[in-house]
Amino acid sequence: MSDGTDDGAADDPTAADRTTERTPLRRSETARWDGVAGVALALVGVGVVARQPGLVLVGAVGVGYAVYARIGEAPEATVELSRTVSGDAPDPGDEVVVTVRARNVGDAPLPDLRLVDGVPPGLEVIDGPARTATALSPSATAAFEYAVRASRGEHEWEPARAITRNAAGSRERTTELATPTRIVCTPELAAGGDLPLRGLTTVYHGRVPTDVGGAGVEFHATREYHRGDPIKRIDWNRRARTGELATLELREERAATVVLLIDAREAAYAAPEPDADTAVEASVEAAGQAFTALLDGGDRVGIAALSPRDCWLPPGAGTAHAARGREALATDPALAPTPSEGRFYRSLWLRRFRRRLPADAQVLFFTPLLDDSAASLARRIDAHGHLVTVLSPDVTAGDTPGTGLVAFERRERLRALRGAGIRAVEWGDRSFPVAVAGAAARWSR
Amino acid sequence: MRPLAVVGIAAVAVGFVAVANRGVAAALDPSAVVVTLIGVLAVAQGIRYANERRGRDRRTAVPGEPERRELATVPGEDLDERIARVIGASRGGYATRRELRERVRTVAVAAVARDRNCSTAAAERAVDAGDWTDDPTAAAFLDGDASYPVRVRLRAAVRGRPRYGYGLSAAIDAIGRLDADAGADPPEATQ
Repeated sequence: MSDGTDDGAADDPTAADRTTERTPLRRSETARWDGVAGVALALVGVGVVARQPGLVLVGAVGVGYAVYARIGEAPEATVELSRTVSGDAPDPGDEVVVTVRARNVGDAPLPDLRLVDGVPPGLEVIDGPARTATALSPSATAAFEYAVRASRGEHEWEPARAITRNAAGSRERTTELATPTRIVCTPELAAGGDLPLRGLTTVYHGRVPTDVGGAGVEFHATREYHRGDPIKRIDWNRRARTGELATLELREERAATVVLLIDAREAAYAAPEPDADTAVEASVEAAGQAFTALLDGGDRVGIAALSPRDCWLPPGAGTAHAARGREALATDPALAPTPSEGRFYRSLWLRRFRRRLPADAQVLFFTPLLDDSAASLARRIDAHGHLVTVLSPDVTAGDTPGTGLVAFERRERLRALRGAGIRAVEWGDRSFPVAVAGAAARWSR
Repeated sequence: MRPLAVVGIAAVAVGFVAVANRGVAAALDPSAVVVTLIGVLAVAQGIRYANERRGRDRRTAVPGEPERRELATVPGEDLDERIARVIGASRGGYATRRELRERVRTVAVAAVARDRNCSTAAAERAVDAGDWTDDPTAAAFLDGDASYPVRVRLRAAVRGRPRYGYGLSAAIDAIGRLDADAGADPPEATQ
């Protein structure tokens, strides 16, 4: 238990640079000895009335307990906390072992100390409770460990809570002990979901077929011959039939600028079951797949979030951009595994988004479509000339009247979007690439 | 309270003196009445004391459950709660009732229009007339004039629940059946 050194933080360099910030929260009396004095007095009274010396004696014992409960204040939690994690950059699904050491740096013993660690809300403890109860004499150390399963995002530990009580347990004091610890979990971006884009392109060569005639592989039209047209493109059949020279036009294939827009408003943090992955997780995973696929196809890709917090990665290409995109999808605070604080102002957000959006950009909008606002936003962006494709993870459960109604309404929204000429794909149990492949077969272009 | 405290302190002081000096103790009258009176006073005080403590704010700190991941909301769960509240009370909740009925109606009209391949106006007429589904309970839910079947009325009366709840779940089920018919192709395959 005790590690020998006398007086804690000052002469221990590791402890000195990560001092624990202590914030007292509340002091209160517990209900442990409630009414013992009253019961003792009543017993004495009954003993006197009934002339029973035994009862009076029992009452006297009760008085002793009442005095015991009143002695002593709950000691201050003079605890220095240090937290170590087995890896601060785990992969998703990895088990991270967290070891917490608490050291009493005060002069007084802590007869009853309970420590509850502030596990980040986005992480789930899979082994052992993240808490301990112990007694610490001065400069003694107690340690406990637990394991969490890593999930996407940047996870910061919240302050641990220390609850100290006096020996009788009649008074207690709660203190927050803040020790900064964080882990960053950045998933590898899997390529997949090779998405057919809509026909809004840049002037650069790429893989989106356009309605512009020129060089390419697919037949587009014929036109009359101009001097200087390449001999390979002359329509020799027509020349043989009519004697006129004509030139074949092929569909030009161009690159597109795509912005992946992820719905991360509070409403999007929804799941078919309370402890399942949310729609935001599903959206971010799918966006990661689309990001890689589009970059590989030579398109310029950017990332934005529909969230109270600002998130914008301008469209770009190249290896460095791929790394930035991966980082943004994993750790951007706007896409955190738990909802961002603050109110979301739709018109403000839309104005800023439109200002940033390049004129030739199309938008892939990842949203669970749980409210009308998402659907109308998709229409408005589409109406401003940025062709929108809606990709919607299905997180409705539909087994009770309420959830069923919400599921129907969501499906009506999808149908209305399709009716308005906006492409929409939904995926639920099936993986995103499978759903996209199924949809791509239906879309002509 | 002050004079009472003074009296109490004085009484305890006299008691302590009496332990040392028997003369003071002898001066007190040890008759049965006095002793009983003292005892009754002690009982009354004890009960009062215990009672007084009951009202005070004494809460132990509740550290919560940091081990669990923050729970996600299930879409529609809040609706279920509202429905349960509306059904639980036999009266009231008119705003909720009206809103729910309106939402169900909108979805039903859309489903009927798609199923029969007719205009929205025709679908609205079908829903209002109650001939959009085979289920009389579901039809009665959206049709102000029609009454619920006797079976449902009996069940509602026996359980003391409003018919509204039965109608609501029947209507949702009926829409689900229409939707499933329309979706001979999986939902995402509809253009």
